[in-house]
Amino acid sequence: MFENIKKEFTTRTLVLIPIAIAINIAIGELVVRLKLPVYLDSIGTVLVGAIAGPWAGALTGGLANLIWGLFNPFAAPFFYVAAAIGLMAGFAGKRGAFQNETPRWVSVVVGAVFVFSLTLFILAFINASTDETGYTSYPSMSQLFSQYLGIFIFAILAGAAIGYFLLQKGGYAGMWGLITGIVAAIISAPTAAYVFGGVTGSGTDLLVAAFRASGGGILASVLAQGSVSDPFDKMLSFMVVWLIIRSLPARFTSR
Amino acid sequence: MAFVVLKNLTYLYPTSEKPVLRNLSFHIQEGEFVAVVGPNGAGKSTLCYALAGFVPHFFKGEISGEIEVNGRKSSESTLDEWVLNVGLAFQNPFNQISGAKYTVFEEIAFGLENIGVPREEMKKRVEDAMSLTGIGDLADRSPYSLSGGQQQRVALTSILVMRPRLLVLDEPTSQMDPIGAREVFGVVRKMAEEGMTVVMVEHKVEWIANFADRVIALKEGQILLEGSASEVLTSEALVENGFGVSRYTSAAREAKKKGLWKKERLPVTLDEAAEGFNLTRNA
Amino acid sequence: MNALGMYVARESGLHSLHPLTKVLLTLLFITAGLTLPGNWTGYFIVAFIVFPLAFWGRVVSNLFSATWKVSLPFAISVILIHGFFWGEGTPVFEVGILSPKWEGAIFAAISMGRIILVMSVFLLFSMTTRPDALMITLKQAGVPSSIAYIIVTTLQIAPSFQRKALTILDAQRSRGLETEGNLYIRAKALIPLILPLVLGSLMEVEERAIAIEARGFNSGKKETSLIEIPDTPLQKNIRRIVIFSIFGLIVLGVLWRL
Repeated sequence: MFENIKKEFTTRTLVLIPIAIAINIAIGELVVRLKLPVYLDSIGTVLVGAIAGPWAGALTGGLANLIWGLFNPFAAPFFYVAAAIGLMAGFAGKRGAFQNETPRWVSVVVGAVFVFSLTLFILAFINASTDETGYTSYPSMSQLFSQYLGIFIFAILAGAAIGYFLLQKGGYAGMWGLITGIVAAIISAPTAAYVFGGVTGSGTDLLVAAFRASGGGILASVLAQGSVSDPFDKMLSFMVVWLIIRSLPARFTSR
Repeated sequence: MAFVVLKNLTYLYPTSEKPVLRNLSFHIQEGEFVAVVGPNGAGKSTLCYALAGFVPHFFKGEISGEIEVNGRKSSESTLDEWVLNVGLAFQNPFNQISGAKYTVFEEIAFGLENIGVPREEMKKRVEDAMSLTGIGDLADRSPYSLSGGQQQRVALTSILVMRPRLLVLDEPTSQMDPIGAREVFGVVRKMAEEGMTVVMVEHKVEWIANFADRVIALKEGQILLEGSASEVLTSEALVENGFGVSRYTSAAREAKKKGLWKKERLPVTLDEAAEGFNLTRNA
Repeated sequence: MNALGMYVARESGLHSLHPLTKVLLTLLFITAGLTLPGNWTGYFIVAFIVFPLAFWGRVVSNLFSATWKVSLPFAISVILIHGFFWGEGTPVFEVGILSPKWEGAIFAAISMGRIILVMSVFLLFSMTTRPDALMITLKQAGVPSSIAYIIVTTLQIAPSFQRKALTILDAQRSRGLETEGNLYIRAKALIPLILPLVLGSLMEVEERAIAIEARGFNSGKKETSLIEIPDTPLQKNIRRIVIFSIFGLIVLGVLWRL
């Protein structure tokens, strides 16, 4: 295991990492200029994971946040989240998620399953009730299905459409991105809630406010916010890296 | 025993289909200054990488034949041992700045830090190397604030400071003005006279004629011509094979057809041309 | 973005402290702010430790304006979310559906204290410590030199990447790429911007790796350092105490909350 980790850190990898972090920063800037409602600030991190492996990806993510923390300290405490993103990208790369094409029907299934689960999660969250003793009870699945059948059908169709038109042949990469986003949302929520009072100082705070208004606790609202915005953001990042890897000359990916 | 020996070297990059170097053999003596010329795609840069150990230790691919420097075989050595004896500087100066240092002085010391030279010796060596290449006044500047030509000098100095036995240079003066390039050729000549062996890929044939001991003309991975600068650089074969030649050579070749150039050998440099044409006028 | 981070070149006692001492103090102040009981600990540390230190380091006004700048968006969010969307509690006032709660206001104040603490402590560190000096000391403390290489190189090349990105943006715009308009148009514009940036940069990787390997980057020899970072026995002892205190605070913090 230790030998494997060492093997990832060739001079090429060490040279690639600063370039990747600079790419994170530069694309983050482009996204702001284009006023897009996403971050896409981990494309470089995902790229290193995909090209060099999970541990190199993890180091890239961690250092990226610590370095950015020199300018805006908000990023620094989340270094472990960025590291996890690079790690996940590396595992995805080892399984060929960035090299292979996915049949389009798989992309359709990935999109449908994801949007369906997300809808289920949010509806369960909004309909949860807390009694006087502080015990939170969630509605049963059958209850939700009968109440929101139309919404669920719409979610599955919308998800399928996202899968077909957006993921296209990169369904596998997109799926890894979605999973990575969920992991990122879960592990970042405690730090966001405890250290920063649940806010990020950006547009996604409106979501936190919405979940708070519907009765969620701070940690739960942050988690819910992350579950809505992170998977989509990471899905797009993984998709972009999938596109990049496929446009690379063979000598880059053949080692 | 020659200092550098290439024996039947054939090399194929991992993703390409035909070899870049084909059955290449030559010898270079210690302290010799050899220039390599050739059209694009002749394999000049690959030859540099092979001499400096990067083919095949960095670029994988298929290799056969032998590279020997100072009696050691590249195939039996690691890249990290190899670079202690062989220094490489190449064309693009921006990519040769390590990025890890904030001043030119520290940048030049980077290699010495890596190989563990003690601090006082390091300072002395950096100062000496900087005064040799004439960049003492840049010591406190950021490497990123320099012009391309200045960065090329820094790159060359960063290699010279390591005191390699064999210096491999791949168009190290491409972004310098003529005066700067001439100075750098002078420095390299001086290093050769002090015993450093030099292999330099270069387009500026006039400088080659002035400074190099020998010229190797490379085409499609093979040696087309080899010999003294004035022999090789004035050969008809260079023109036929699409090499760049000196404008004085071309002018004198035309003049010779009209009987205006009387000397046996064509000129490469301005001085030779002036001298030759003078002779014809006086005759 | 600047290659020296937020470093403010000044002659001061704080500037000349050993970088590792400052790293550990930074961690200590943050740990203390997050573990010690009391709602106002964050503010106390900022007021009675961080700013006096900034005064010693002659960067009070720099620190004040930078902390203000990075904390302001958080302040707005914290006040809006916790001020106006707090669930059950004692209302401060009620106007229509707006009903801020006292509990929310207090939570907002506590959160702001933590945010200002984290922001100001990190910024003070980065304003008074040169990244390269930090790297040299980390190397001496046993951190692999490749980490130092990555951090300093990133700081130096990132500005040129930002410029490159904006140049590509301008170039693609002048070639007729639509970057204004609805969300779909703007999102579609992103790929023709990202691909040239990333592919171009990846082509540099090979040459950059060759250049540093040619200079013994991987030599495996024990490295030396051109620059010496002064250290004192007093600071060494302080660092030992600080490490001990950080662990102590974490243990206490956990015990307090059990």
